[in-house]
Amino acid sequence: MSQPSQLHENKPPVYPEVNYLNADRGVWSWLTTIDHKRIGIMYLISVMLAFLLGGIFAMALRVELLTPGPTIMGANTYNRMFTLHGVVMIFLFMIPAIPGVFGNFLLPLMLGAKDVAFPKLNLLSLYLYWTGATLVLAGMIMGGTDTGWTFYTPYSTTTPTTLFPVLLGIFILGFSSIVTGLNFIVTIHTLRAPGMGFMRMQLFVWAIYATSIIQVLATPVIGLTVLLVGIEKVGGFGLFDATRGGDPVLFEHMFWFYSHPAVYIMVLPAMGVVSDAIATFARKNIFGYKMIAYSSLGIAFVGFFAWGHHLFVSGQSAFNDGAFAVISMLVGVFTAIKVFNWVATLYRGAISIKTPLIYICGFLFFIVFGGMTGIAVATVSLDVHWHDTYFVIAHFHFIMVGAVIMAFLIALHYWFPKMFGRKYHEGWGMVAASLIVLGFNATFIPQFLLGNAGMPRRYYMYPERFQALNVASTAGASLLAFGFLIILIYLIYALVRGEVAGDNPWDSRGFEWMTTSPPPKHNFDQTPIITQDPHSYQEPGEEVEHVVI
Amino acid sequence: MSSSDAHAPNPHLAHHYETIEKQDYAVRLGMWLFLGTEVLLFAGLFLGYTVYRHFYHEAFHEASRHLDLWAGITNTVVLITSSLSVALAYNAIKQGKTKLCAGMLIFTIVCAFTFLAIKGIEYHHKFQEGALPGKWYHYAEVTAPGANLYYTVYFLATGLHAFHVIVGMSILIWILSRVLRGHFSESYYVPVELGGLYWHLVDLVWIFLFPLLYLI
Amino acid sequence: MAHEATETPASKDEHHGHGVGRYFLVWGLLLLFTATTVITGRMDLGAANIFIALFIATVKATLVVLFFMHMTEAPGANRLVFVVSLVFSIVLMIGVFGDLWTRNPMTLPSAAPTTEAPERP
Repeated sequence: MSQPSQLHENKPPVYPEVNYLNADRGVWSWLTTIDHKRIGIMYLISVMLAFLLGGIFAMALRVELLTPGPTIMGANTYNRMFTLHGVVMIFLFMIPAIPGVFGNFLLPLMLGAKDVAFPKLNLLSLYLYWTGATLVLAGMIMGGTDTGWTFYTPYSTTTPTTLFPVLLGIFILGFSSIVTGLNFIVTIHTLRAPGMGFMRMQLFVWAIYATSIIQVLATPVIGLTVLLVGIEKVGGFGLFDATRGGDPVLFEHMFWFYSHPAVYIMVLPAMGVVSDAIATFARKNIFGYKMIAYSSLGIAFVGFFAWGHHLFVSGQSAFNDGAFAVISMLVGVFTAIKVFNWVATLYRGAISIKTPLIYICGFLFFIVFGGMTGIAVATVSLDVHWHDTYFVIAHFHFIMVGAVIMAFLIALHYWFPKMFGRKYHEGWGMVAASLIVLGFNATFIPQFLLGNAGMPRRYYMYPERFQALNVASTAGASLLAFGFLIILIYLIYALVRGEVAGDNPWDSRGFEWMTTSPPPKHNFDQTPIITQDPHSYQEPGEEVEHVVI
Repeated sequence: MSSSDAHAPNPHLAHHYETIEKQDYAVRLGMWLFLGTEVLLFAGLFLGYTVYRHFYHEAFHEASRHLDLWAGITNTVVLITSSLSVALAYNAIKQGKTKLCAGMLIFTIVCAFTFLAIKGIEYHHKFQEGALPGKWYHYAEVTAPGANLYYTVYFLATGLHAFHVIVGMSILIWILSRVLRGHFSESYYVPVELGGLYWHLVDLVWIFLFPLLYLI
Repeated sequence: MAHEATETPASKDEHHGHGVGRYFLVWGLLLLFTATTVITGRMDLGAANIFIALFIATVKATLVVLFFMHMTEAPGANRLVFVVSLVFSIVLMIGVFGDLWTRNPMTLPSAAPTTEAPERP
């Protein structure tokens, strides 16, 4: 199981003639495939479309907020727009993005398996995702929803807008998420290659494992909750309706019992991506492997005990406020463990500054900044001031856009050669990465200031004194959008014309690089036998190569 | 395909598993995970129950007295017995007794129908009395505040449970058809086992619903 | 139940099903507990009623899980999965009840309940 390395061989890289992409031909062979790699690619296309859609909504919102009064749309449109931005980005992009695309594609490769445990269920999960997405978008066409992505009762049960298809869509997307999570857990338990104990799994696998546990445990509750809201809206059962004796706060409890852990469904795989990529680009063993692995499980566990910090101003008891605030701090501890280990990995590494590394640096900044502001808003006294202002929006986007989308881009660039066997243009990659990191800061740092000054979230109009910062934010958002456009162009170009990458262009020690890039249909010609730890860059008798541009 | 599974031609072994034992292990683990998600699904409803029982203790007590206790008891006995028969079906197929297994499955399915029929009659009575959830509630005998929420929870919980009964029954019918076609033997019986597990879960939920709804 | 103690999760090829008697014994116990819960449920024991009912239900559920669902022979991972799902269900309950027990009673929906909903615009 020697690692193929281009550095020692001067042969030009070859593109494997038969691989998973061309082993079977025709659209039908894709739609009926049970190959985890193809399902991953179809997820990639789907979530990119969702991201595009959500991004268009986001840009429309930012343009609307350029002026204090009406700019390009009416107030009702604005309400529908921010709801759809939230729903599309969270349920159609964030939650399936990294597990659905990279989890599917890489998990079996990293484990040395031929496929995931239940390939047909895997395909089912994709079809459920498509069904759910169709329903959500149908709801949008049928008039749109104006509740925000949180569907708080009693507004959601009384709003005249179309809610039911969206709720049903989210219910079905929940199924998709459960099936994916279940599949991954069983895969990790049963399909590790000979020689791979749990402590030899790559950190991305650990992160996906922790994510899957949350998906399996938390998602049924949101399924039930949105179902109840739907029934409530159609049938008037009074479950969350205070006028009939129901308790609206109960809805918030049930909603956040899923939706707080759901934040970790989004961010844990992101952390896994960074753990894997950082070792490659620092060309160094990951520092504190066990601590990073366990802290993923720790976050998954503690994440279930923190939901109450969303209810500080909802009429929850003061006792619960305090209890949940204290527990929320623990999430900070586990995240900090990871951050320290990542930074320690970079320290004295043979750093190669490539596009993914720029995103990694952005990621580290965003997760620390977003995480610290998260600790701040999870403090009761501060949250009373900041609740439902742009401060929360900015915090949330620092984690969700800052951390998760950076990680998505890291993964996309780092594993692009793995998936397609071709290289993207490094120069343009760096330009786009710099634009995105800068544009991101320019978008959301003004929002922190806005929120602190008291601008509420989800408001259509605002006083004139907020305009300068809003304009700054919109300018930053344009920069972001421009960066994404560049990425889209050079990646599509690379797909068609990109330089052939060879099997392991980064000279990474990740197990997914053991096979060819792109991999053959059944991943490995022979079942690999794992004889070393993951991310091991200093083998005896082997010099660490310095690849510095 | 790797060459490792060439010497063990088992039609039930998928290409990405080395051995049938490993595959069975994976399938069982997957099933238990699924059962775990079902537990959490019902946990949400039980939460709704406990919360509103906490608020409207008296109304819940009074309203529970207006359910048909004998229907509840009968249904409990029916489900427990069907749980026994599905366990016996599994036990039978494990020993290769296909006919016994089929018989036990048929008995289980009959129990499921009985359960649904009794539940349907109960629902019918409640509809006539006006003991309906939320805004439809107009039952004259229980007017304590919160009684409407008791029936909301009652219909949601038993409705979701009945849905699971229907799903479980459909699965068992499908498994029965495969048993009758001779798909299973003492060397391959995992689907019977999994179908049985699902049916036991349906029983488990009812074991909690029965005292909470009929007896408190 | 002493006679399960002799059943060990021994090697795979050894257990070709249990004695049918064991299943019937569990069934009998389940019916017995059902009768008990109906009788105690109709007695007026005050606050103890709910705890007795839940206790009996838990015992019944445990019997079903252990013997009908063969948890006694399941590998550790499966046991863990099921137990974890129960634990997190309880976490959900405790989190919400921590709120309800300590909330200002005036803010509880039961403080001024109505069964009649006011007309909505």
